[in-house]
Amino acid sequence: MPSATKTRDSSAEDANMEDITPPSAQPVVDSQEGGDPMEEDGEDNELGEEEEEEEPQRVRILPGSTSTAASFEFLKEGHTLGNALRYIIMKNPDVEFCAYAIPHPSEDKMNLRIQTYDTTTATAALEKGLQDLEDLCDVVSEEFWTQRENFMAAKH
Amino acid sequence: MEYDTMMMDGESLGPSVKISAADNTHVDFELSNVDLSFANSLRRVIQAEVPTIAIDLVEIEANTSVLADEFIAHRLGLIPLDSREIDQLNYTRDCDCDQSCGKCTVTLTLHAKCSSDEVMKVYARDLIVGIDRPNNHIGNPIITDPEGQGSLIAKLRKGQELKITCIAKKGIAKEHAKWAPTAAVGFEYDPHNKLHHLDLWYETDKVSEWSVGIPTIRLFPPPRLTAGYRPKSKYAEWEEPPAEGEPFDYDAVPNRFYFEVESAGMIEPDAIIQEGIKELQRKLAGLIHGLGENDDMNGDYDGPRSPDGIEGGAPWQDQGYTTPYAGAGNTSAWGGGGATAYGTTPYGNSGSAGW
Repeated sequence: MPSATKTRDSSAEDANMEDITPPSAQPVVDSQEGGDPMEEDGEDNELGEEEEEEEPQRVRILPGSTSTAASFEFLKEGHTLGNALRYIIMKNPDVEFCAYAIPHPSEDKMNLRIQTYDTTTATAALEKGLQDLEDLCDVVSEEFWTQRENFMAAKH
Repeated sequence: MEYDTMMMDGESLGPSVKISAADNTHVDFELSNVDLSFANSLRRVIQAEVPTIAIDLVEIEANTSVLADEFIAHRLGLIPLDSREIDQLNYTRDCDCDQSCGKCTVTLTLHAKCSSDEVMKVYARDLIVGIDRPNNHIGNPIITDPEGQGSLIAKLRKGQELKITCIAKKGIAKEHAKWAPTAAVGFEYDPHNKLHHLDLWYETDKVSEWSVGIPTIRLFPPPRLTAGYRPKSKYAEWEEPPAEGEPFDYDAVPNRFYFEVESAGMIEPDAIIQEGIKELQRKLAGLIHGLGENDDMNGDYDGPRSPDGIEGGAPWQDQGYTTPYAGAGNTSAWGGGGATAYGTTPYGNSGSAGW
């Protein structure tokens, strides 16, 4: 109970916009004497959670998604990423379907639909897709540079 | 299965690049064994998202020329400035400073007054670049003409004066075209139109109107009637023309892409390609990072965590509520994105310190 009261106290301080909110949590750590600081975070979370803005998250799963069939919404992405990502995810043999759309041109959003077979999940397929595309970029970048070196060598 | 066919027909596995011409303003190359979507992403990213530096803020102290202030400001913005090693410069919005500093901006000043009877021309070379900058070439006006003058900014008559301070910032062409690193990017594939991605219009006969033998008048350089003009790309010779009566292959996909990248002078053309790919990877890295951060995107997201960097506890007080995430998120990985989940906090003032 005492700890609960403490938490409430500190939230009152927040309302006052005083800068000493974090220190209010600090003494608890000290009193625990070398307790894992991670445990302390739990209480911190309770404080911040309701006020924390979720908006700036760049990727979110749209409602109605299951683990093997999900729609993702990307903020501040467009055809540049969407089409290449769609292609590379579709190359994954565990993926049944992948498509992207820009629902409205004046909203800076890109939606990506992934449906997979039971062997993987949509989120895993997305992560693999991002990784694969990064690897492809590496290969092309390296190839371009070696060819450039060759061209320069041949020229001189 | 698909992977097998890919291995069988191409003698070289995986993406390949063939450079056909290059100098300090151009690079022409063929990118093959990649998908159209990837090639197009590369084109889009080099045209719109490779960062460069350009004049963004102009303070006009004196302008008695015939040109309006905003007109001159616009012209100044379009002057290409040396953007090599742009990584050493921060975006102003991500910089720790209040307004601008040597880590995120380059200051250029211009002071010209005409005192002679002749018209005086003010060129980009007359811009004086401030010394407070990451290295000694970034922000220099690009001068490529043999006279060493650079772009013409304005003309002054006797007694007219220009006194201007400019602040150049890092940016991308998606925001304003003055930041475009490329002057032009050629992008083409399938010169014989075998894939029918184009529907070439014709009056009565496709062959006679679209291939050899149309007499055309060449207007430039000297006007002359040339027979045998082919309105075909030079790359048509690089690929097998379709055989007579060849059936349409509806499974075919484009495989060879011809790029002609022309630099605007701020970055070398080969560096533009490299930077473009890097930018694409930065996008991906940002998303991978974002995904890792909130693994259960539809479940409970994990709220503000303890800032990893400051377990010691001491910096809590003076830092207000800026966490290491604000810095990390803002710099590279998130690209254009200014605010991160951790950037704005309910605790008021924190934002002001960051950007």
